[in-house]
This record gives sequence, C-alpha cells and structure tokens, in this order.
Amino acid sequence: MAVPVLALRDVSKRFGATQALSGMTLELFPGEVHAVVGENGAGKSTMIKVMTGVHEPTSGTVEVDGQTVTLSGPRDARSRGISAIYQEPMVFPDLDVAENIFIAATDLGLVQRKGLLRERAAQLIARIGMTLDPDRVASGLTLAEQQAVEIARALSQDVRVLIMDEPTASLSAHEAGRLRRIARTLASEGVAVVYISHRLEEIFDIAHRVTVIRDGRHISTRPIAEVTPQGMIAEMVGREVGNYFRKDASHATPEVLLSVRGLSQEDAFEGVSFDIHRGEVLCMAGLIGARRTDVALSLFGIHPATGGSIAWKGREVRVGSPREAMALGLAYVSEDRRKLGLAMPLSIRSNVTLATLGKVLTRWGLVREGRERSVTNRYRERLNIRMADADTPVGKLSGGNQQKVMLAKWLETEPQLLIFDEPTRGIDVGAKAEVHDLIRDFVRGGGAALVISSDLPEVLALGDRILVMREGRQMGILAHEEATQEAIMRLATGQEAAAA
Amino acid sequence: MTRLSPGTLRILALLLVLVLVGAFFASQIDNYLNARLFNRISSSVAIVALIACGQTLVILTRNIDLSLGAIVGFSAYATGALVTTAPDLHPILLALGSLAIGAGFGLVNGLLVAYAGVPSIIVTLAAMAIFRSALVEFSGAQSITTDDLPQWLVDFPNLPLFTVAGLQFRAAFVAAVVIVVLVHLALTRLRPARALYAVGSNPDAAEMAGIDARRTVLAAFVAAGALAGLAGLFFLARFGNITVVAGLGFELKSIAAAVLGGVSINGGSGSVIGALIGAVLVDLIENSLVRWDVVSEFWREAVLGLLILSAVTADALLMRRLTRLRIRREKAAAPATKEATP
Amino acid sequence: MMKTLGLAALLATSATMALAQAKTLTPGQEVDMVLLPKFLGILVFDQAHEGAQEAHAELQNPGELLFQGPTPENSVAGQIEIMTTAGTQGVGAVMLSNNAGDQIVPAAQAAAESGTKIVTWDSPIPNGEGESVFIAQVDFEETGRVMADMAHEIMGGEGQFAVLSASPDAANQNAWIASLESVLASDEKYANLELVETVYGNDQSEESYNRALALVDSHPDLKLIMAPTTVGIQAAAKAMQDEGLCEQVKVSGLGLPAEMASYSLNGCAPQFALWDFRDLGYLTYQVAYGLATGQLTGEEGETFVAGRMGEYTIEADPGREGAKRVLMGPFTVYTAENVEAAAN
Repeated sequence: MAVPVLALRDVSKRFGATQALSGMTLELFPGEVHAVVGENGAGKSTMIKVMTGVHEPTSGTVEVDGQTVTLSGPRDARSRGISAIYQEPMVFPDLDVAENIFIAATDLGLVQRKGLLRERAAQLIARIGMTLDPDRVASGLTLAEQQAVEIARALSQDVRVLIMDEPTASLSAHEAGRLRRIARTLASEGVAVVYISHRLEEIFDIAHRVTVIRDGRHISTRPIAEVTPQGMIAEMVGREVGNYFRKDASHATPEVLLSVRGLSQEDAFEGVSFDIHRGEVLCMAGLIGARRTDVALSLFGIHPATGGSIAWKGREVRVGSPREAMALGLAYVSEDRRKLGLAMPLSIRSNVTLATLGKVLTRWGLVREGRERSVTNRYRERLNIRMADADTPVGKLSGGNQQKVMLAKWLETEPQLLIFDEPTRGIDVGAKAEVHDLIRDFVRGGGAALVISSDLPEVLALGDRILVMREGRQMGILAHEEATQEAIMRLATGQEAAAA
Repeated sequence: MTRLSPGTLRILALLLVLVLVGAFFASQIDNYLNARLFNRISSSVAIVALIACGQTLVILTRNIDLSLGAIVGFSAYATGALVTTAPDLHPILLALGSLAIGAGFGLVNGLLVAYAGVPSIIVTLAAMAIFRSALVEFSGAQSITTDDLPQWLVDFPNLPLFTVAGLQFRAAFVAAVVIVVLVHLALTRLRPARALYAVGSNPDAAEMAGIDARRTVLAAFVAAGALAGLAGLFFLARFGNITVVAGLGFELKSIAAAVLGGVSINGGSGSVIGALIGAVLVDLIENSLVRWDVVSEFWREAVLGLLILSAVTADALLMRRLTRLRIRREKAAAPATKEATP
Repeated sequence: MMKTLGLAALLATSATMALAQAKTLTPGQEVDMVLLPKFLGILVFDQAHEGAQEAHAELQNPGELLFQGPTPENSVAGQIEIMTTAGTQGVGAVMLSNNAGDQIVPAAQAAAESGTKIVTWDSPIPNGEGESVFIAQVDFEETGRVMADMAHEIMGGEGQFAVLSASPDAANQNAWIASLESVLASDEKYANLELVETVYGNDQSEESYNRALALVDSHPDLKLIMAPTTVGIQAAAKAMQDEGLCEQVKVSGLGLPAEMASYSLNGCAPQFALWDFRDLGYLTYQVAYGLATGQLTGEEGETFVAGRMGEYTIEADPGREGAKRVLMGPFTVYTAENVEAAAN
C-alpha cells in the first residue's frame, strides 16, 4: 500500500504518574474506515488528542504523508487536513448553522456575505445527506443535527483524516445509521476515517480495519473479515465475557408500585400512562426528541407534571420536588453525569453520601468520615468500583466507574423505584454488563426499575416490558415476548399506529 | 407574519421596559417629559454608551473589564494634558491619541488575561487600582481646568447638529451613536468579529474549531480599552474639570448597561445596540431618581440597584413569554414534518 | 504684623505665665510629620501641602514631611489605614483633613495614645475625640453668613436657591450648611430667600454636573446654586454655561479663583469666596510642630506665633463641645474685579 496519510510511530504519553499511551502505533490510509476499539480508559481519547495536536507525545513521532511533523494545536492539525468530531458536539449555540460551519474558515474574506455562506453551507449539508436550514440558530439543534454541523465544518476545509469519537453514542438507531452512511461516503471519496464506538454491531457494519487497544498499548490491527465479536471483546477486556446481552426471566410481581395516568406537561409530553410492578424492569425506548427524559424528570419532581395523575402503591400523590420523590422511595440516575448527577471535584465518598448526608452526620451536624468511608467501601465491593481510594475526586474516574458511583449514591437512599436515564451511555462493554447485572439484582431484591435507553439491544436485554414514545406521545407498550428491534423502531418512527 | 429574530425581540422588549420606566416617572415627577430630559440623557449617554459598548465586547468573550472607569479617567487626564501643551493639535490626532492610550491599557489587560491565563476579574480589579494610582502619580494631584482647553473641544459635546421636534441631537451623542452602530455592523458582518461570539459561547469548541481564542480575547480587551480611551476624551470635553476621580464608577455602570441590554454575562450572546439602550435605561433611572423626592439621598443608590434589578427581571420574564409565544406560533404554522417517513 | 518677639521669648520660659503671652517656636527639632488630606488629586489639598512645605523649611525640621492620602474611591478606609500606620510607626504628628466622620476616632485615639499628635484642618473629627486641636480655616458661623450675603446680593434679596454639597457625611460641609440655615432664619433681611433643596455631588465632576442640571429641572424658578465645594461650584458653573442657563440660574459658593475666573468674568458665577489653602497648610504645620516637639501644650488660651502669619490663640470650638480650635480666617470674596489677579 501507499504512504499512510497519518501515522503514529511508537508514541508514548505520560501525565505525571499516569502512563496514558505506551508505544502506540497506528497507520491510516486514504479511503479506509478504521475502527478503534477499547475499554474506557484504554487510551483512545489521549490518542485522538495526540492526532489532533492537543497533546504533544512524550516520545515517538507523528507522521503526515510520511514526514515527521510537530502539531502545535488543533488549528495546525486542521490546516493539515486532520479534523475530529466528538460525542459531545462542539457547536456555538448562539451562532446559526452556516456561521458554525464556517467560523474558522480563512478563505471567505473579511466581510461576511450571508448569501454566500448560506449557499455553501447548504451544499455541504447536502453532501452529507442531511436537510438542515443554514439560518437556524444552533442552540435549537438536536444532537444529531449538531454532529452534522461538525462534520460539515470539517468538510468545509480540505479534510483528509476525519476522527469520529463515539459519534453515535447519543443518537437514535435511525440517526446513527445515517451517520454511518456519511462516514462510508467520505471514505469512498478518499478520506481516512477513524471511527471509535462501543457498539460492536456498528463496527462490523462500517469498518474496513479494526485496531484494538488496551491499557494505552496497541493490541492488534486486522481487516474486519478476520475479526469476530467474541475475539474482539476478549482482546479489549483481556478476558472472556460471557452472556453480554442476556435477558433472564422476569421477576415482576402482581403488586403495582407506581401507576401513572394521562401524565402531561405543557410543551413537552402528554397522555403518558403505565404501571410498574414490584420486581419489574420497564424500559422506555424512542428516538432523540421523544421526550422520555422529560417524563422521568416530572416523575422525580424536578419539573412537576402539569396534568394527569400519579399513584404510589395505590395512593394518589403529587410529586412537587425531588425531596418529595425521594421520601416516597424514588431515585433518579441521570443521563448527564456532569450536570445532574455528580459533583466532579468532590471525593468519591462525598458523592456517595451526598443524597443521604443525614445518615453520616453526628448529632452536631459534622460529617463522620469513617462512616462515609465504610459506606463507600461497601459499594466499592458490591458494584466493583475501580478506584485508588475513597478520597479520589470523582472527576478522575472513568465513565463507567462514575456511573457506578452515581448508582451507589442512589442505592444508599434505599429506593424502591430506580429511574435510569441512559445508564450505559458512553461506557465500555465490560462495565455495561456489570451495570445490567446491578439493575437485575436490584429488581430481584424487591425493587422496580424504569430504564430509559436508546440502545436497542440493551432495551431488549433488560426490559420486561417496553414503552415506546415518539415526540412527546406514548406510542405503545410491548411485552418482552413481542418486542424486536424492528417492532420498536416502527413505533418510535411513527410508522405504526399505537398498539396495546 | 414576519419572523423576528431573538435579538430583535430582545431590543423590542427593552424598548418597552424603557417606555414603562419613563411612564412611571412621568406620573411621579412634574414637568418630566420634555426636550430637556432628552438633552440631559443624550449628553451623558454619549459617554457611557462608548464604555458599555467596549464592556460588551469583553463580556461577549466570557470576561469582564473592571478597569474601564480608570481608563476613562486616565485618558481624560492625559488627553487634557496633551491638548494643554499642544493646543493646536488636530482634533483627529487628539481622538487617535485617546484611542491609543486606552488601547495601550487594554493591551496590558488582554495580555494578562489571554496569554498569562489570569482570570479577568482579578486582572482588571488590580488594573483598576493600578491605573487609577498611575493617574494620581501622573497628574501630580493637579487638575485640568476648562480654561486650559481649546474652544472647539469645549463646544463639541453641546454643539447641536440638528433638531427634531425640539429635541437637540448634539455632536457627542450623535458621534457615540454612530460609533456604536459601526461596532454593531462590525460585530454582525465582520468574520473575525464573529469569533468573539464563538469564543464566548463555547471556548473549548472554539479552540477545537481552530479559532485563536487567545488572540480573540486580546482583541476584545484592546478594543474595549480604545473605546474607553475615546470616552475619556468625551469626558474631558463635557466636564472640563478633570481630577483623579474622573470616571469613577463607570465600570459598574457599563456592566449594568450591558446586562440590562441583554448581553449574557456568560458570554456569547448580546448586541451593542442592546447595550446602548441599556445605557439609556440606566441613565434615565439615575437621572429621574435624583428628581424623585420620594427617595432620600441616602437611599438613592439602593433604589437604583433595586430598579435595575427589577428592570432586568422584567426583561427576562418578558423575553421568556415572547420566545414561548414565537415557538408556539412556529409550531402552529409548520406541523410536524421533521421526521418524514422514509 | 507681629508682636514683639523679644518679649515673647523672654516670657516663654515661664509656663504659668503662658496664658497671656505668645510663645515662639524653636526651629531645628526633629519630628516626622504626615499631612493626610481627604484624598489625593484635588488642587486645594495640593496647595495646603505647599504651605506645609513652606513651614517645614522655615522651621528647619530635619525630620520628614510626608504627604500621604488615600485614593478617592477608598477615602474613608484609606484614611483610617494611614492613620493607624502613622500611629504604629511613631510619627510625631498627623495633620488630618477628616473625611471619615467619627469612624476615624478609634484609629486617631490609638495613634494619640502612642504619642502621635492629631491636628485636624479643613474638616475636623465631629466629636473631637482623639484630636488635639482643629485648625479652622474660617469660623463656621461666618461661612454661613458669607454664603447668605452672597446669595442675598446675587438674587436681589428674594427667590429660590439650592445647595450643592460634597458628600452627606463631610463634617465641614454639614456644619457650613447648618450655619447657613441658622443665619437665614436669624435675620429678617434674608426672609425672602428660600432654600429649596440640598443635593450631593460627592466631589466628582460628572456627578456634581448632573446634580446641578437636575436641580434646574426640578425647580423651574431656581435663581441660584450655592456650592460650598470647589469641585461642585466649578461643575455647576460649567453645567449652567453649557446649557445656556447663566442668565437664569447663577452659581456661587466656595471656589478657587484659578478654576472660576472665566465664570466670574462671563457672569455665570458673579461672586464666590474662599480662604487661602496655602496659609491653612502653613498654620496647621506650625501648630502640629509645636505640639509634637512639646513646645505647645495644646491647652485652651495658649497663644503662639505662627511664623509669617503672626499670633494665634487656642480656644474652645463653639461648634463642637469639648473640642478646641485655632481660627485662621478670614474669607476673601471674589468678583469679576479681583478674580483675575488672584487666579495667577
């Protein structure tokens, strides 16, 4: 083959005591989709940052077209045709779509010509097969649309290497499919695409070659034809993982814990009705914009519902605040760990006891550190949280471990109904299975769970019943036996009228 | 039905608040609404508007400049000293001189904030004290007096350019408005200026997108300093008598004007036209309070703060109501066609 | 202008006889002194400094004369801080133009206890505590009468006028305004002068300027703005001139000839008054030096010779119970006739 457009040669990167990359080697050729897989903390992010010039390698070299280069920063990388798009899109909420795309363009002159900008934006958007009004302000865009803006921005300059870091983690299956088509189209036009994802089925759908990394080291690079899912997972985790997505028998009891009728909220959703039984996992599926999180937020009292009724153990209640919800026995494990879930700079133990401070306080209102530590250590064992000690700031943990800390915090409130919002988004395969086991353990022990997830295999693996929403409306509830990916998608996209 | 942009909507909401405040004071104070009120407000707004405009540029990048008042004072004194020693200096050169003095101070702030990475509130808080002390030192505790100034400069602020229905449009006010409009056009039309919004609304993304965030922040501080420098010249022309207290408190007034004018204190959104109207609003409230005998001297500052707070709150509520109305109307106009069946 | 020095020198040795006899200060003794104005950056304080420097040279004090003041926005806290520092450093005397009201008292008392003499000038400590003596530029009662007379003459004996002061807690300003009010009430002559409002410009040009205009807006029949502050009178005069209101509303008060000359000549400010701030600084230094070197005791009735300015006596302050003062005086009233000569 020809000269790689971008190559890492024996690259190491050290942050203080942490060795993030050691001897990493990677070659990217024009026209390939190159998947990079690895558990969280394997060094993928660091590798991307070396490729985009954010970090300079401690040792080793970066080559562009066979020439050793020093990338001074993202701007330099971009000028050499290397762009990256991230799971959390980097858009400017106050600018419109066209401006977002061309914000850093250098060839458009000093004075902004609105017409020209709009026209060229429309061309780029069309090239990636989207429909998006260039005049729309970015703050109103969905995640998928924001990602489209980022891709268009990358394309606005001569892009030769496009790094996509978990681009589909927040997208619905429909949107993710479209994004994969875009990636393949770009590759066929000669771009080298680096594709990072936790969804194995995606990788088999799209990649030409797969590189597995673990603990900052290169493990293998193979053509996709020579790779099997089991083999790949084994390489990622360094051990065999059995029963990745298994659905065990339902533990649902006849006792109705929560009963919701005609729940609605102005400008968000309406007519949501369901029961959750003790011992049951009810999954909520739907596309982005289906307003599932809004339903959860209203159940937990953060944005109280404006219509309908909620009954808890047969008694009608009004949930006006999270405090009231917690008093009933509800807990909400949020999707956005940063915003609603964890206090990142605080220690693990402070986070674990945050919702239950009363339990670890002395009579005089002082925190008993010892008690905090023992509580934290109990969960560390039960949830298999990998941490140095209980005083480490939560922000330093990997995504999967952060998720477990958050779960520990809510389990400590001894809830009867746990609401999970995208519990495994952005965490690796091994941790995913562990979280699933924890949810199953929880309901087996007499609790109930409401799980919001956009990951269809997960929904099928966990849900005793599956409630599907679309644009603020409940489209139907499927029993586990009748649920398939196709059936769920038909409801979620509105191709089928409400059943059940 | 024309579609109003959120920016236009905000300006309209602000004008409504302005009218409400005016109407309130008109009901309280005799002889209130007349040409004289317009002259008073327009003359003092000429100075504050420039500073608020500069402050807006800085706030857009998620920073703040507390030293602008001190820059106004220094520039007023320095240009006064300059024109006293060289009375025949061409007006254009004098104006350029004031811009350069302010830009110099802005450069110091900008370098420290953008390249040394010190938070702007700390840099400019220190700069406020340092610049003001520098003025005390530089002036040797002497004052500039009106007699020292050339006649054209003294006449400039009050020179009526044209009169509409008894309302005088004076040179300084017209000049300030022209400058604000020019800055507004630059902000909306010049591509490098759009980077201010990008840096302010998402600094990480700006860096990733290849924008030189540091240079952008530096530019904002330099431009703000330059505008404050020019405001210093206006200050000199209007008040004539310049002591070391000149421009004291303008930094807070400019922040109030910008925030009232809808500039988000978190950066990334707002317009200098809004800041101009904000400046008018602050000045209107201040001017009217002095004449409202219900409020005693000792409570005036508190009432001023309270009124500004209520104006901001009223504006925010109004804004939310209007935005919701607009979204609803859009929804009604365009039924759900987003996710068309494939 | 002076009494016979010989006689004074002869009798100065007798402390018991000092009540009636003027003491002469012996030069050449070393004592560090601090001149502490309200804040830096105003011409009159600089003039006071010049006067103090003159006396410093004349008395051949080998010690230091420091001119230390706070920045304007930090006046109160800054004055307290400088006072505290001066006390702990064992400075011989602090000459204070007080802008901190009674808030300065704890710092002043602490300094006095550690041996520093506190001599106030221009503006005293209202309750007199911690202060040795106040050098009063003019009699506060006289200030009221001078202002009332200027108002009477400019307004032709009748009409509305307003006061534009500095800050609401400046002791000298408040005392003068109080005295003006009592003079107005005391004499039938002023019966038709109506004081409609008192406003404050905080000795800032722009604030004073705007307040002056607001006064005109609030009181359509206003004939005069009386500003007993050099910043205020100048700003008010400029405001009236800028808005073409000089025919209708006149300006008067306490002002510096150098700053006010043009307004006197064009009729915006036909009369204003002031004392000499250089003399005030000079006299203050003389008293502070005498107290700090122990040559003066600071008791009531003590008489001394203050260099070129002649003989003065320490007396009870009629405006402040229990406090003492040295009265300098007198006023000079400036008009179009004499202002130009004084301005140079």
